[in-house]
Amino acid sequence: MTKTISIAPLSKTLTVKAAQAHAFDVFTNGMDRWWPPGHGIGATPVKHSIIEPRRGGRWYTVHEDGAEIVVGHMKVWDAPHRIVFSWEINAQWKPDQSVASEVEIRFIAEGPKTTRVELEHRNFEALGQEGGEKMRKDVGGGWPTLLELFKKEAER
Amino acid sequence: MAYGNALAALADPTRRVVFERLRNGPRAVGEIARGLPVSRPAVSQHLKVLKEAGLVTDRPDGTRRVYFIDPNGLAALRTWLDRFWDQALEAFKAEAERSEEGKQSR
Repeated sequence: MTKTISIAPLSKTLTVKAAQAHAFDVFTNGMDRWWPPGHGIGATPVKHSIIEPRRGGRWYTVHEDGAEIVVGHMKVWDAPHRIVFSWEINAQWKPDQSVASEVEIRFIAEGPKTTRVELEHRNFEALGQEGGEKMRKDVGGGWPTLLELFKKEAER
Repeated sequence: MAYGNALAALADPTRRVVFERLRNGPRAVGEIARGLPVSRPAVSQHLKVLKEAGLVTDRPDGTRRVYFIDPNGLAALRTWLDRFWDQALEAFKAEAERSEEGKQSR
């Protein structure tokens, strides 16, 4: 039996002095201009970070050594309000479509030149379930314990 | 990358069993190794990797040494992603505001 454990999602809120449409565009269409080059899982730094602007579109990074890595896929594309995408990175920090956690980013207009951006990274338990399945084959049930400890610590 | 290290350390099934055996409290190497199909030196080696990943720590207990789960190591898993998004969003904000100002002055 898969033990389901929920882990507190990560939430971030920030206020940006920019119009909603502009903030959305910079995030989704201008990633190359701001995404930190060290924020990738390739062997070399990120050269380009590209979001394909549609439901089902990929978010992928192109690295200095030419490698392309898919970070996830757009599940919701609601310009300029909201995107939801899968985060297809597994517990070994490798690209893996079967273990997706999920990220939602909302762009809320608070004024003509003020946008509140809310980010939520959730469904971490997807990592645990995958780990949990491996675990049942391997040793019969240790990964969920780690997640329980993780949850406890995260919520402390 | 503490997050990656911790998860990479636990990718090994035997190492996860070793880690598991510490869930109910501190244990010495001999107690951890009991009933496991690996040698005591192998268990010590796994403990060393877990310790380096920040998941396990140890202290002397009389004449022996006991190992226990380091709660700070578990916090590190989440802290890593937390910082990841903080840095990314900070860079995003700077660029969105910079380019918004540029638009106005044009």
